[in-house]
Amino acid sequence: MGKRGFHLETKNLSVKFAVVEKILNLARANSLWPMTFGLACCAIEMMAAAMSRFDLDRFGAALFRPSPRQADLMIVSGTVTRKMAPTFVTLYEQMPSPKWVIAMGNCAISGGPFVFEGQYNVVEGVDLLVPVDVYVPGCPPRPEALLEGILLLEEKITGKRRFPKPEAKW
Amino acid sequence: MVNTIREKIKAKIGDVEVTEVSYTEKGYHLSISAIKRNLLPLVHFFDEHLFYLEDICCVDYVEYLELVYFFNNYQSLCRMKVTLQIEPEHPQAPTISHIYDGAFWYEREIHEFFGVVFENHPNMAYLFLHDGIEFYPLRKKMVLVSDEDKRLLNSFKVEVEEDTFSVNMGPQHPSTHGVLRLVLKMDGEYIESAQPVLGYLHRMHEKMAENRGYLQFLPNPGRMDYLGAMAFNLGYVTTVEKLCGIPVPERAEFVRVIAVELNRISSHLLWIGAFLADLGAFTPFLYVFDDRENILDVLESITGSRLTYCYFRFGGLYNDINESFIEMTKAFLKRMWGRFNIYENLITKNVIFINRTKNIGTIDQDRARKYGISGPVVRSARQPYDIRKVEPYAAYKELDFDIPSGEQGDNFDRYMVRIREMEISLRIIEQAIDKMPEGPFRTEKVPKKLKPPKGDVYHTVETPRGELGVYIVSDESDTPYRMRWRVPSFSNLIIFPHLARGTLMADAVSILGSLDLVIPEIDR
Amino acid sequence: MNTLEEFFHVFVFFMAAVLFTLLPIILAYILSPRTKGKKTLTTYECGIEPFGSAWIRYSVAYYVYALIFIAFDVDILYLFPVALSYTKGGRMYEFYSVLIFIVILALAIIYAWGKGVFTWKRKISQ
Repeated sequence: MGKRGFHLETKNLSVKFAVVEKILNLARANSLWPMTFGLACCAIEMMAAAMSRFDLDRFGAALFRPSPRQADLMIVSGTVTRKMAPTFVTLYEQMPSPKWVIAMGNCAISGGPFVFEGQYNVVEGVDLLVPVDVYVPGCPPRPEALLEGILLLEEKITGKRRFPKPEAKW
Repeated sequence: MVNTIREKIKAKIGDVEVTEVSYTEKGYHLSISAIKRNLLPLVHFFDEHLFYLEDICCVDYVEYLELVYFFNNYQSLCRMKVTLQIEPEHPQAPTISHIYDGAFWYEREIHEFFGVVFENHPNMAYLFLHDGIEFYPLRKKMVLVSDEDKRLLNSFKVEVEEDTFSVNMGPQHPSTHGVLRLVLKMDGEYIESAQPVLGYLHRMHEKMAENRGYLQFLPNPGRMDYLGAMAFNLGYVTTVEKLCGIPVPERAEFVRVIAVELNRISSHLLWIGAFLADLGAFTPFLYVFDDRENILDVLESITGSRLTYCYFRFGGLYNDINESFIEMTKAFLKRMWGRFNIYENLITKNVIFINRTKNIGTIDQDRARKYGISGPVVRSARQPYDIRKVEPYAAYKELDFDIPSGEQGDNFDRYMVRIREMEISLRIIEQAIDKMPEGPFRTEKVPKKLKPPKGDVYHTVETPRGELGVYIVSDESDTPYRMRWRVPSFSNLIIFPHLARGTLMADAVSILGSLDLVIPEIDR
Repeated sequence: MNTLEEFFHVFVFFMAAVLFTLLPIILAYILSPRTKGKKTLTTYECGIEPFGSAWIRYSVAYYVYALIFIAFDVDILYLFPVALSYTKGGRMYEFYSVLIFIVILALAIIYAWGKGVFTWKRKISQ
């Protein structure tokens, strides 16, 4: 596996309308529909982020779609193993464009605590399989960390950040 | 009971060696070493005397491979360890899956991890691993997979028949509670056969245990079952303490009980949310997470983590509890007692819920015994078997609680058993807070690099899903020689293909939900 | 108002309906990027390759449901002009005749109910 093995042709348009693009990006960023791709422990924190205390719905992003055809954000929460990897790439390819990927948790970023000498089943990092937009570290990351990841993704799509970044006070 | 069994074995099957060992040191009563020719009569003997199959595992001592079978009894505690030595090149052993149906998958797992071929086993295809792993992972020396074994392992084929079609309830599915793949052969809306394919989250915990020291392996049990992480942690820590003979102060025992029971409540709450989401109800999910956040606040104040706890250390706890923890726990208890009313009005008295769960997925007692089922699933089948009562550990000896059991063994009974277990957990926590003594929270002078004595030990705890068994074989070094995790969801899942045969697809989804599986602990 | 004018109203309505469905498709074709991977156009089956083809002999229970639905859908079509004609002043005689029509249709449902088309057994023995 590797970045060289992944082929995805994206045809962008030859004509771009600037103002329309800006409005479309605003619309896309404020209504991200994640796909339910909870694999392991981080899935529970993703579910907790969508529930009443840390509400994902205020960012428009809590409408979890089981089918990749209707989703545009894939939150990879959990370890991707070599047995799961072909399925994972198939699901990514079945999502329509434009699509984004958040790698949530240490296992999705670089294999996590399961990398040791002689390991045979864990993919060391999801970015060996698909292009990743935002990395959210933690094992598992708190729901607030996932919310910060979604805000960063919105900033990446629209260019402007919704809430100011909190300053570290200590 | 142990002595009578010993006499009967000696009388019936002549040439086995039966040694009695100390239960408090080893965790089992009798150690029986069998040879290939008298394994099947021995297993028939256990079947007649109503023993259930607890675990089958394999240990690779380089000159020979040893198959270890554990049998136990629901009615009176009597754990038997049967060992069978086989040769390391082209290892072969007789199968017991025609006597105990649960052995079907244990033997498949041993085949793909160690290369042991079981004669007359109906299906030796890949269970956890996949094509592309060229060696047997858990052998000590690198042994390559032979070509005829590769043909056996890749022999899973989906037959295309005329009136039925095969559908994947795949790894990415909102109702399979993790990455479980079910290959369903459907006849219209009815399921003819359901075959689970596991291993999509196989994270090599058992191999990691052989490469890490005892203290370095502590974070791993929490990742195996992330919803009941305290109980898994407790199982590991108690087994190592049993192996090395480390004493635990009383205050630590009581705090361990409080932490495990709080975790049990939060795990059952999440199960209610997920089970009802499978049936189509989304509201209980929100209520349940609200209660859960309260528990997570309480546990976060002493452990620091929300989900995958690593709070216990060998000889006690990581740090002591303080007054604010006791106050927060008492406030939580008061709040939780008032919440059961909501769940009763919303769910238990709901006509739709009752119609969808009564008389679905009925398990009878003899089937439960052959598959080795434990936990709320076996308690709902009229078998009140709870490790906290039968083999008490931590401070459960001094606490007074009863065990709920169901009448029929259907989905509704499993739901009621779990609700009652939550109430019982609240009572246990109240008693533990009252009885907690002052004192140290950790034994001093536990070395960082443990040097346990040579030998093996087996210990069980009761997790929210059932009976967890940890079997450690040590060779006096500071890493375990072999660590085997007998997880409850694995044996609970084996019964699913039998239960789902002939049901509607929606009912099969609800049966799968009611068994309360957590897939990472199955895949280890 | 002559009939040509009335047909013109219908024609405008028809064109508006067609445009309403086609406009989002055209806009999406102009404004959004398109991606094609190796597996993009395959059938979604939870990430795994589907077994066999989708043209199979499926169970007859689904067919009976579809049959009943089609029959009653056509009956609903008959009831639309009845509903519209009530605004032009109605008499009790018209109401009773439509009621008899509906009762005869309902007898068909009661027959199907009695024959057990609407109940599916929870578990079939194998």
